[in-house]
Parts: sequence; C-alpha cells; structure tokens
Amino acid sequence: MLLQHMINGLSIGSVYALIAIGYNMVYGILELLNFAHGDVYALGCFVVLGLITAGINPIPAVAAGVAAGYLLNMLVERFAYRPVRFSGRVTPTISAVGVAYIMRNLILKVWGPETYPLRLGFRGTRIYLGGIVIGTLQIYIFFAAVFFMLLITIMLKKTKIGQGIVAISQSIPTAALLGVPVNRTISIVYGIGGALGVIGGILFCMYYDTIFVGIGFALGTIKAWMASIIGGVGSLKGAIIGAMILGLMESLVAGYVSTLYKDAVIWLALIMFILIKPQGFFPSQIAEKI
Amino acid sequence: MMDAMLKNKSRILLLAFALSLPMIITDEYWIRILNVFYTYAVVALSINLIVGFCGQLDMGRSAFMGLGAYCSAILSVKLGVPFALAFVLSGVFAGVTGAVLGFLCRKSTFDYLTLVTIGFNVICQVLFLNWIPVTGGVMGISRVPPPDFFGFTFDTNTRFYYLALAFLVCSYAVIRRITKSKMGRAFEAIRDDSVAAEYAGINVQYYKILNFTVGSVFTGLAGSLSVHYSQYASPFNFTLDESIYQLQMAILGGLGSLPGSLVGTFILVVFPEMSRAFYEYRLLFVGILMVVMMLYFPNGLLGNAGVGERLIGVRCRVAIRRQLKAGERNGRQ
Repeated sequence: MLLQHMINGLSIGSVYALIAIGYNMVYGILELLNFAHGDVYALGCFVVLGLITAGINPIPAVAAGVAAGYLLNMLVERFAYRPVRFSGRVTPTISAVGVAYIMRNLILKVWGPETYPLRLGFRGTRIYLGGIVIGTLQIYIFFAAVFFMLLITIMLKKTKIGQGIVAISQSIPTAALLGVPVNRTISIVYGIGGALGVIGGILFCMYYDTIFVGIGFALGTIKAWMASIIGGVGSLKGAIIGAMILGLMESLVAGYVSTLYKDAVIWLALIMFILIKPQGFFPSQIAEKI
Repeated sequence: MMDAMLKNKSRILLLAFALSLPMIITDEYWIRILNVFYTYAVVALSINLIVGFCGQLDMGRSAFMGLGAYCSAILSVKLGVPFALAFVLSGVFAGVTGAVLGFLCRKSTFDYLTLVTIGFNVICQVLFLNWIPVTGGVMGISRVPPPDFFGFTFDTNTRFYYLALAFLVCSYAVIRRITKSKMGRAFEAIRDDSVAAEYAGINVQYYKILNFTVGSVFTGLAGSLSVHYSQYASPFNFTLDESIYQLQMAILGGLGSLPGSLVGTFILVVFPEMSRAFYEYRLLFVGILMVVMMLYFPNGLLGNAGVGERLIGVRCRVAIRRQLKAGERNGRQ
C-alpha cells in the first residue's frame, strides 16, 4: 500500500513538475510572484478544449493551445508587468493578481464553473506489478517533465538567448549594457513559461480526465509556487524535485492522515519548511539583492 | 493653523452627516449596505496598516476576519458569553493568532510572507469547513445573537448603524494615531527600506510583529461585529477571493492613505449593490481595476501622487498657465 501511495504521489508530482518548471523559470529570473501563471495556462487549456469540441483533431488543437499560451503570456508581460517592472515588489505582484482574476473570470464567463471531460483520443494502459498499479500515462508524464527540464537546461547553457536569460537573471542593467535585448528576452521567457504551462496543464487534465477552472490557480499557481519554494527558487532541478516531494507528501497525507485536512496539513508543513529552510533544497547561486 | 481648523470643521461636518444619515435614508436596504460598509471599512483600514504602511503584502486578511467571527459566534452561541466580552475576546484571539503568525514570519522576506498568509487562509478555510463539532462545517453557526450592551440590544438596522459607525470612528482614530506615532514612522521606514531601517536603529522584527498583531486585532473585531450583525457565521465568507477583494478595497483608495481606504471600501461595497450586472462581474472588474491602478495610479485614489493629487495638480497647472498668459498680455500692453 505504501508503495502504491508513493507511485501515485510521484505521478502527481511529475504533473506538478511540468507546471513548476515554467513557473520557476520566470520566478527565478525576474523575482516576480507570477500569480497569473496558472490562470493564463488554464485559458490556454480551455482554448484546446474549445477547439476539440469544435471537432478539430487533438494534435493541432494542442499545438494551437500551446501557441495561445505563448502569445497570451507575452501579451500579459507586455501590458501588465513591463510597465511596473522597476516599481518595487508590491506593485507588480498586485498587477499579477489582477491579471489572474481577469483570466479566471474570462474562463468563467465563457465556459462556466462546470467540469468538462477532455478527450484527446489517447488513453494510457495500466501495468500491474505484483499488486501495484502503474499507469503508462504517468510514466509518459514523468519523462515529459524530465525531457522539458533537460531541454530548457540545454537552452540556457548553449544558446545565445539562454545566456541572455542567465545574464538578465543576474542583473538587468548589466545585461542591457552587454547588448542583451532585455525586453525581447524577458518576453520570450514569459512566452516559454506560458507554453510549458499549457503542456503541463494538458497533461494534468489528461491525468485527471477532466478540465475545470480550478486547474489554474488552486492546482496550478499555488502548487507550482510550493514546488519552487521546496526545491529552491530559480533552480529547474529544484522545481522538479520539489514537485515530486509535494506530490509524495500529498499522496501520503491523503492516504495515512486525512483526506479532509490534506490541504491544511500540506500548508502547515510548507510553512514550517519555509521557517526552517527558506532557500529550499537547491538554492540558486545568486546572492540576495539588497 | 487655518488649515487644521478647516480640517477639523470638515471632519465634524462629515461625522454629523454620517450621524444624520439614518434620518435621511428611510430605505432599510441602504442602511444595511451602509452597515456592511462600516464593518468592511475597518478591515480595509487594517489591511492598509499592514500592506500600505508596513509594506507586508498580506493576502489572507479574511482568515483573521473569520477567526474573529467564529470566535465570537462560538462564544456567544455555545457558551452564552455576553456580546461585549465576546467582542473583546475575539479581537484578542485574532490578535494573538496574528502575533504568533507574525512571530513565525518575522524574518521572512516578501514572497514568503505572502505565501504564508495565503496558506494560513487556506488552513483556516479547511478548519471552518471540516471541524464540524466546533465550527458547524458547511452549515456554519446560525442564530448568533445581535449585539447588546447591558440590556440595550442593537437589533434593528438603524440601531446597529450607530454601533457600526462608532466602531469605525474609534478604529479610524486609533489607527490614525498609530500611523502618526513613532510606531507608524517605524512601519513606514520598514516599508521603504527594511535594511536602512535596521541601520537607523529600528527593531525591524519587533515592529513587523507589532504591525501584524495590531492589524489582526482590528480585523478580528470587525469580523466579530459582522457576524453579530448577520447573525450567521458561514465558512464561505472567509475565502481567498474574499481576502483579495478586501485587499483591493485598500488598494483602490490608496495604500498609505486612511481616508482612501474608506473611499475604496465604499466603492467596492456599494457599487455591486447598485446593479446586478456589476455584482456578477465584480471579480472581473476587480482584476481589471487592479492592473489599471497598478499601471497608472499605483498609489490609488487618495494616496501620495494618486488620482486626487494629480487632479489638483492639473488644476494648479491650468491656473498657473492662465496667470502667465495674463501676465504676457499685460506685458504687451
């Protein structure tokens, strides 16, 4: 039973990981609490839902959803974050909360609070291993998370734009002096974050076989944020490991403590964790800026 | 000197106007909305004290309101404690909880504090919903007695109006006094630059805890009053959405401006009641408002360099230009 809970936890964790990678990238580079991350990708996922209900083949529909996430997050960055980039911490955060509310209420106005099935015409089978059930979908999701982490790590290390992103995360004025196109790079970071979010969101919906407005904030932004903090802000490896720990914790708490109080226990544990180890398990190498 | 007297005079006029409102407005419905406005105004003031004056972005204020409300409801329904005592105890309870949370977060930087307050709100929400023997679960606690002081019951809307007004005026006076004192200056120093404040000899951690405690006391008291007014404690009144809505009340009026909080609360409480369409879209509206305010008026309607001062600035500029033009004309002649 313990093993089964752990497997379930790891597979939930790998879904969170995909969402957390996009989130942590933005978070680590710009130190902005991107409250809107979840709701932006939720809108992307609902675009996919709308296209599929309109009778479009799932693969182009998902591609269109990912593109929508990319463009949407770029737009949000351009109009809601860029003008307030240098005005302290409170102002951009509140602006992000506002964007989250706009997106969520747009979804609510168009699709309502109902839960929809999301059928991509792809179903995983189950593997039985001596009493333990593993879904093949869970394995795919896990490998997708690792694949995207590697892809982004390589992009950050090897490409020109990746190096630009690293430079910006260390100091925006210096990066600008060195000729990094700051605004364009940041907008690309947001775009990639949004696109990854939509991919994660779609996998999330496939895992639970449903799509509803709550995948944005409660199950997206908040979980990604928790995972980033457990793993360490700005570290991609940390985001994945943090998400796994979060998934494991959720599954074990739901299995052994109480399903009713699951959220409360997780939050309590996280608050304790923050107090003990605020840098997370894999702190980024940049010192705190004063 | 003249300015201070004028200010005092306008304050007295405003108070007299507020006191005579129940005689002008005969519609019970509007009196009820005003009562809700007065209780929420205190919450907005406490948010302003924490977010506006101390710069700690607290997104879980409604949890403290809920703690005050539930504490008061449980005390008076299950234990039969009189209103005055339950009211005070709920403020104390919220304050102590705030002090504990503030103590835990005393070293936390910006992001973590926001996360912890959101988490605290979720924890409280789960407890309100699921701890059925104490909080009544989804059903909440009903039949909370209306407030009474030594035999005088504030059971009608008009009677409660005066109680709520008195509560608001007292809270406003105390919070205003705090912001003008040494404590308030310490809060503002922490908000502007906590490292510099520390070098200036301000005990940052102590003042952060104090700020959180004082704010929580007022939020808890407002929660207690609201539950005695609606006579029903529902777990759905203390959600994260509600916290954000309350935060927006303080932001709209202007962080760091106490009269601003009153204006912001007034707009966000009264407008949704005026039209059904507005009520349905209120969260969308709040979202748009948040972004637009942050882009163009980060200091709200009445804050420093907010909309109010900009309007005055425009008027001054127009006047100056007119005088200059007049001067030119005179010079030509």
